[in-house]
Amino acid sequence: MNANTSNDAHERARSLIALAGSPDALSNADQQSSDTWLAVHLETCASCRAFAENAGETIRGLRAIPIAAERSLVSTTQMRVRRRALELQRHRERLWLVSVSCIAVTLCALLSTAALWRGFEWLGARAQLASSVWQVGFLVFCVMPALVAGIALLAKDKHLSDQIGSYRG
Amino acid sequence: MNATALYFESSMTQESTEIARGLRRRDPDLLDRLIEQYQHRLLRYLISLTGRRELAEDLFQETWIRVLERGHQFNDKYAFGTWLFAVARNLVIDHLRRKQPASLDGLLNDGAEPFDVPATGRASAFDTTLQREQNEQIAAGMQHLPAEYREALVLRFQEGMSIEEIASVASVPLGTVKSRIYRGLSALEPWLKGAAL
Repeated sequence: MNANTSNDAHERARSLIALAGSPDALSNADQQSSDTWLAVHLETCASCRAFAENAGETIRGLRAIPIAAERSLVSTTQMRVRRRALELQRHRERLWLVSVSCIAVTLCALLSTAALWRGFEWLGARAQLASSVWQVGFLVFCVMPALVAGIALLAKDKHLSDQIGSYRG
Repeated sequence: MNATALYFESSMTQESTEIARGLRRRDPDLLDRLIEQYQHRLLRYLISLTGRRELAEDLFQETWIRVLERGHQFNDKYAFGTWLFAVARNLVIDHLRRKQPASLDGLLNDGAEPFDVPATGRASAFDTTLQREQNEQIAAGMQHLPAEYREALVLRFQEGMSIEEIASVASVPLGTVKSRIYRGLSALEPWLKGAAL
């Protein structure tokens, strides 16, 4: 039990030494009482006193290790950061342009769809067609461009693969 | 809180706010200034984590690119340095994960050279030589410490960060930071005495 208490005291003392000069570690009142306790402990404990001296030396040594960034590293980094900043800016501008285009296209599509619907309705009335007939006509008219484009792309792919096949053959 | 402390706190907050605003704008001039300002501190921290200057220099550049890309995430309630070091730390962990699934433990003793301790260029008095030898021993000892201890010691004693700031950078509780500092210093003790050499 006594040995445990003594070990705890050493642990506490060493922990306080390691955090010495760290007022953020304890509140002011705690700091004062810990400092007093540590001072008393150090007077009677040679091993903790040695630890304190070594810790002081180590901390001084740590502070004295001079590691400096080279000028070339700094300038290369600054250049890379500027280049990346430019890329990001261009990307943002492109994104903005695409967003504006998408909005414009959506608006145009809405307006033209409404106008076309009216047009088909008028034509259907003039030709005295049933409403389902001109509505199907409207649907085909709307889908037709996408269908044509799809067929054209498929045909192009087929043509290309035929050509590659003939080269290999 | 006294007037001086209040003054420093408010000027730090103001500086952080300005940095946050600049980072949101991706202001290249601000980034140039920050790179200049934090060059040595950041490199020192990265070397302490990786133990290798070459890798640290690569990660130094990557850190600033990350700062540019994620600058909008910087919260001006905190000091910029703390956030910067947290970004750098995450990059080191990402780098390790790419190599092998690991935490900072992976950055230990894999053939790394000890920290380079260049000559100070001052008069070669006995004390200076002795001090230099001691610094070399400490630098060598640092290389053999677990990366977590190394990190805590560098942030505490080289960067002068508070325990709270270190806890924030390393994302660990205050108690863990305290114990890492204590254990790190204890582990360096034999190196200081030259026993481990």
